[in-house]
Amino acid sequence: MNGEYILEVRNLKKYFPADRGLFGRVRHFVHAVDEVSFEIKHGESLGLVGESGCGKTTTGKVIVKLEEPTSGELFLSGENVGKYVGPRKRDYHRKVQMIFQDPYESLNPRMTIFDIIAEPLNIHGIGNLKEREERVADLLQEVGLTPPSSFMWRYPHELSGGQRQRVAIARALVLNPTFVVADEPTSMLDVSIRTGIMDLMMELRQAHDMSYLYITHDLAVARYMCERIAVMYLGKIVEISETEELLSNPLHPYTRALLTAVPVPDPEFSRGEPEIMGSVTKPIDPPPRCRFYDRCPIRTKDCETSDHPPLVEILPGHFVACYEVEKRKQG
Amino acid sequence: MITLPLLSVNDLVMYYKTKMGYVRAVDGISFTLDRGESLGIVGESGCGKTSISMTLLRLLPENGEFQRGHVYFDDGSGPVDLIGLPEHEMRKYRWKGISMVFQAAMNSLNPVYTVGDQIMEAILNHYPDTSFDEARAKVAELFKLVGLDPKRMDQYPHQYSGGMKQRAVIALALSCDPKIIIADEPTTALDVIVQDRILKEMKRIQRKLNMGMIYISHDIAVIAEVSDKIAVMYAGKFVELADSVTIFKRPRHPYTFGLMSSFPSITGEKKKLFTIPGEPPNLLNPPPGCRFAPRCPNATKKCSEEEPNFIEIEPGHFLACWNPIKQEGERA
Repeated sequence: MNGEYILEVRNLKKYFPADRGLFGRVRHFVHAVDEVSFEIKHGESLGLVGESGCGKTTTGKVIVKLEEPTSGELFLSGENVGKYVGPRKRDYHRKVQMIFQDPYESLNPRMTIFDIIAEPLNIHGIGNLKEREERVADLLQEVGLTPPSSFMWRYPHELSGGQRQRVAIARALVLNPTFVVADEPTSMLDVSIRTGIMDLMMELRQAHDMSYLYITHDLAVARYMCERIAVMYLGKIVEISETEELLSNPLHPYTRALLTAVPVPDPEFSRGEPEIMGSVTKPIDPPPRCRFYDRCPIRTKDCETSDHPPLVEILPGHFVACYEVEKRKQG
Repeated sequence: MITLPLLSVNDLVMYYKTKMGYVRAVDGISFTLDRGESLGIVGESGCGKTSISMTLLRLLPENGEFQRGHVYFDDGSGPVDLIGLPEHEMRKYRWKGISMVFQAAMNSLNPVYTVGDQIMEAILNHYPDTSFDEARAKVAELFKLVGLDPKRMDQYPHQYSGGMKQRAVIALALSCDPKIIIADEPTTALDVIVQDRILKEMKRIQRKLNMGMIYISHDIAVIAEVSDKIAVMYAGKFVELADSVTIFKRPRHPYTFGLMSSFPSITGEKKKLFTIPGEPPNLLNPPPGCRFAPRCPNATKKCSEEEPNFIEIEPGHFLACWNPIKQEGERA
């Protein structure tokens, strides 16, 4: 395995049972994540972008092992972590952390800020009380909740949304992770607070030499936070590329539609018409053809009869899963 | 003949009474809205933007106390102060004069009635002389107007997708031919592609029917797309109001500037975003003077002592600030 990558995901699948027939036999499956592969370099932040229900959060949860994958492999620093059990699995949970979307839901209201941030230390049996207090105080300082002594013994309801998210970030960092999955960490926050959290996360990434998988529905946020962006549609990654390349030269018809639909904070800017038909279908037992077929403006006969297209490197570092784009590039 | 604006709001003040004192949610708001015009009200959560619409429609919760101010509504038959009207008179203006697309509109449909029945109910309530068939025909027409298949009027809300529910709620708001629609975060829960379609649809309908629109949102990109003029709200007050290009290109209030510069975009050069320090104040006990002063880079002693008035600094451009951003400091 290549040492360049902190995380590699190979053919990851996560199916959920959609209904159960007689005797509990599962007849239909939601293909939440379907044969997804990508890798994240050391110190890199990869944006995972898509509409609600496309499987981006499930991908994140499988990576932090909150969900067991149906199949597929996961490598952290080149090591296959799929079969980790016992102490090695615990070790994995130290190295890989997650920050959740809603800071009002993700913090236990009955615990003090100290207890919340120190809980992972407790679980992993790290340090004594005094050391834990020092560690928590340092982290509070680092995430901008100063002076730490005035926050440590308070409860989540005494803090604002932005402050709570800072606590959630401190908790994710307390075990010195090398990799963090951030699931829409700013989407619940107000505009004037949001930037502070985004900047904090970028500073922390540098200071602690971490890598991120940054899950968001907002392409503008992904652009601000990430070196590369992967676009997901119904459980599949349809395009992945370096950020500015993806925004200036989107190739997949879905990415193009998505980019055209994003409102621009400039009243004099006029966007085009997104070329897309219909609306998102449910990913329950989808046909093997391209997931985007039903909505695609450039589909052909071949697309209907072929399997979902593989991700192909069309330009250096720019991968697209579309037969038509591939054909046009060659022809 | 002088025509008055469709809606003129003067010094509107509404507080919520709580055990701890008054929450000053709407504290001296003034604006006008004309036929065919759209006003965007942008501000962060808790700044009082939704409270404005509730006050205009007089749909306040029990602890909402109207303090002072006037809301003149004029649909051509002379101005009426909605605030002074008795409740049974007000009903004639609610929904027929001003209607509303509520926040989380997708959940504002009743799950046990068909979508068509719910819209018919509104029509039959406000126009008691309408026959059943006429009302059904009107619903079919509304469905077409908002881009829904009239065949779907006998379906229940759960059979609709999110975007379709949103369209149905817009049809409901249009059901009594309102002169003004207030849309409170009309697309916040929707995915961008659906959002794009709904916003375009609303703009098209507004133009077609020459209605006044008030869009309320925290999302300045959405507001930029749909508004002719924009009011920036902070802690219960408007701090700046002007046509949308002025607000985006030549903002004078430091809060407006901060808000505009803290919003990431997928277009233009990627630049470092601006962070407004601190957090919005508690409206139970707002700071004296300008409410933005504690977070403002331009604040002086005067700012935290004396409250700035909301004055017209150039035609159509209102500002409440002692130390506005200099005109030369134009944003690219």
